[in-house]
Amino acid sequence: MAPLSELSELSEDAAPGAGPSAAGTAGAAGAAERSAPAATAAPVLAVRDVRISDRVTDREIVHGVSFDLTPGRTVGIVGESGSGKTLTCRATLGILPPHFEVSAGSIEIGGTDIATLTPQRWTELRGATISAVFQDPSSYLNPSIRVGAQIAEVVRVKKGLKRRQSRGRAMELLRAVQLRDPELVYSQYTHELSGGMLQRVLIAAAIAADPQILIADEATTALDVTVQAEILDLLAELREHAGLALVVVSHDLAVVAQLCDEVLVMREGEVVEQGTTGEVLHHPRHPYTKLLIAEHESYGLEKFLTPRETS
Amino acid sequence: MTMVRRVLTLTSGRIAVTVLAVIALLAVLGPLLAPQDPLATSDNTLAAVSGSHWLGTDHLGRDTFSRLLDGSRVSVLGSLEVALTALVVGVVPGILSVYLGRTFEWITLRLADTLVALPFLLFAVAVIALLGNGITQAMLVTGALVSPLFYRVARAATLAVARSPYVEAAIIAGASVGWIVRRHVWVKVLPPIAVALAQTIGVGFIIVSSLTFLGIGVQPPAPTWGGLLASDLGYLSYQPWAPLAPALLIMVTVWAANLLADAIRDVSGEAGRAFVNQRRARADRPDTTGSGPEPATTGGA
Amino acid sequence: MTTTAEQAPPARRRAVAATRVRHTLGRLLATLARSVVIFVPVFLLATFVTFALRSMSGLSPARIQLGEEATPEAIARVEAQWGLDRPFLAQYWDWFTGVLHGQLGTSWTNGADISTLIGLGLGVSLSVATLALVIGVVLGFALGTVAALKRTTWIDRSVTGFVTLISVMPAFVVGIVLVAVLAVGLGVFPSAGYVPVEQGLGPWLAHITLPALALSFDVVADVARQLRGSLVAAYRENYVTGAVVRGLSPRRIFLGHVLRNGIGPALATLGLKFPALVGASVVTEWIFGLQGFGRFANDSAQAGDVPAVQGVLVVSIVLVVLFNLIVNLVLARVTPASQRGV
Repeated sequence: MAPLSELSELSEDAAPGAGPSAAGTAGAAGAAERSAPAATAAPVLAVRDVRISDRVTDREIVHGVSFDLTPGRTVGIVGESGSGKTLTCRATLGILPPHFEVSAGSIEIGGTDIATLTPQRWTELRGATISAVFQDPSSYLNPSIRVGAQIAEVVRVKKGLKRRQSRGRAMELLRAVQLRDPELVYSQYTHELSGGMLQRVLIAAAIAADPQILIADEATTALDVTVQAEILDLLAELREHAGLALVVVSHDLAVVAQLCDEVLVMREGEVVEQGTTGEVLHHPRHPYTKLLIAEHESYGLEKFLTPRETS
Repeated sequence: MTMVRRVLTLTSGRIAVTVLAVIALLAVLGPLLAPQDPLATSDNTLAAVSGSHWLGTDHLGRDTFSRLLDGSRVSVLGSLEVALTALVVGVVPGILSVYLGRTFEWITLRLADTLVALPFLLFAVAVIALLGNGITQAMLVTGALVSPLFYRVARAATLAVARSPYVEAAIIAGASVGWIVRRHVWVKVLPPIAVALAQTIGVGFIIVSSLTFLGIGVQPPAPTWGGLLASDLGYLSYQPWAPLAPALLIMVTVWAANLLADAIRDVSGEAGRAFVNQRRARADRPDTTGSGPEPATTGGA
Repeated sequence: MTTTAEQAPPARRRAVAATRVRHTLGRLLATLARSVVIFVPVFLLATFVTFALRSMSGLSPARIQLGEEATPEAIARVEAQWGLDRPFLAQYWDWFTGVLHGQLGTSWTNGADISTLIGLGLGVSLSVATLALVIGVVLGFALGTVAALKRTTWIDRSVTGFVTLISVMPAFVVGIVLVAVLAVGLGVFPSAGYVPVEQGLGPWLAHITLPALALSFDVVADVARQLRGSLVAAYRENYVTGAVVRGLSPRRIFLGHVLRNGIGPALATLGLKFPALVGASVVTEWIFGLQGFGRFANDSAQAGDVPAVQGVLVVSIVLVVLFNLIVNLVLARVTPASQRGV
């Protein structure tokens, strides 16, 4: 896995050149570069001490999450399933499951507090300002409609383009997410495409209306390792070219490490560690973070590769 | 049986069972309870509701209440006969279709397709009229016509069981087909069949009432709920309220049967799952012909 | 994946378009082929059983024409006239080839051409059945949609209650109630009879509305229940969340995404409902005094006119098969291959 090379820098015995994947080195280099400039621009997404409760049981599930996101930057949220990272994302998108609510704190998208949004304003905002991709991309696309038409639909509705133009734009988007045969893919159904292709299509649909924020909730989790690296590269490229602000959610520290400037480590609804990627990876303070990193070290390939390469 | 007890824990189950029990009691005791001779005519025709005629009299002066009670036996037992015939005709080939090989499977599937595609009231009318106008023929024919429901339910449940790992394990361990059916299949097939049985009692009830309404299956003077409605039809301008009692009885019975079906489904949770499994099992075997109206049939009615 | 393809040349685009058309055509053809595979055996079997009815019934045209006291010789003579002394399979073959040519034989009771007789009644029955389907689809869709959109509210509960109520009302009970209230009681509609559409749309509609309404209750109940269920299930799907996140309006999501996927089972229900509709016409036509297909079936059956009954059954099977074919083609159009079989 690509970002292991970065992690391996932490362990003293790591041999140089132990991360052969191109994606990995690119990601590591990018992360190092990007951690330098401070967030001076106004945040497109500001999450302030957000708490989420179950209205029925009156139990607080997420106990205060805060972060700022400026264009071109990436925040990562790491944690096991049930840690509240997905709920936090859903709150940001205004799609919390029934009887969950933001019980305290605030979320601002482009300076607007989402608590003040009417359903109509939400509809306008989603897709055009904030969008998201998820795990299991095939289920997030309509199985009865050709995937191209679903992208074109977003362009038509959100950008007000005519039918023909929106088709052309959808084709451009499919090309932009580096699908090999956009013409063919355009007219295919979800069951005819592979997981990696579907995630690209889903990304294309998500960025079709030029949002400023893209949330990737476990977007690479179910994919093959190589495909996963490609998708992460694609996200990085979109961030570079389109000035997207990314929120990357994963249970996998490596994924987050590859892309993010800032990392939040969540456990049982609590942010146990927060800081720049370098800080969190090199100087973890919380035992849980240390555990996550240690796991990567003990199960990582380096352990097996190193002796052979050194010998 | 635990299933009965579990059905009775539901309010809907208790209501359904109570209503059906009352109706069944009516079927057994109805003719004995009738206060007057249901066939005796009098000059007091089309009388209004009174102390001596609780539901008035019909166009021949016969006591409607007595005819209603007397007619309950044919109406209720008729639908039971239909349901039981359908059960026997449907379940046995349904289970066997999974085990007796391709040819048998194909033939029974096509037979079931055919029966489902037939407009069965039309067929029932035709066949019964041509084969002799008797109540037994009527019930047997109707039962055969609605049997595909049981065939599919039994087949679906059996398929689901047959493809399950524990049956495969039993086969590998050398168990015989007979033993597997007794030990594993029966347990899974029973709940959906109970659901289908309750549904069929409701459907059978509608069919029997429709047939007797048309005067098919019973000889004219003998009263039935459907027949009562038919004779009321001619005198609506004199007694517009007359169809109320038989119509309500028919509707309440059908409703209770459906309620019972839902209650059994709720407590067993099997019926729905079996169909999903069946669909999956069929999809796994592309060589099986005809995925036509099959899964939808089982869910409907 | 790193190659950024330039604008596809026109030839390539045409090829893709052609493939797409071929896909669609292939899909329709496959549906047709599958329907034929299912329905040919159905048709053969049903006609065979239908034809075998005569032998099973022991009925004979001689009894109808000559009465009960006919001599055996006279009976034999009449039966020979009708070709009933020939081997069973030969008779079946003759009859079957006739059926394929649209000839259903002659009636035992009056010697009239059965195809003509049925043709006369079919107009009435199809008018009623079509209107019943229209009412069933419109009301069923409206109720199912409202219940699904307002799920778990009191609106949903009352719609569900109403649907349960009408689902336990047999067509003939509804028919009688409608006659009692709307025709006899209020005099809003004529209680019986039929006026062809050529004599005016108003009178035609007035005469078929009540029977169609009586037939439609069952359809309304089934369509509404099925649609509510599948729409509620569709709303739980991730692609709805996906569409929400892409900023599509609730209206667009319902019309363009949820309805599209939820409509399949409801359409399939219609296919299954049609035979029941044709069957129930026997009862409704009796109640409303319509000289239609169902009435003809009932009268012929009661009179023991076997060829007429056979003709009715064959026509009903053809109707059902045709209707199912249409439903299957529509289903194939609405849902992609991955979802078929639902």
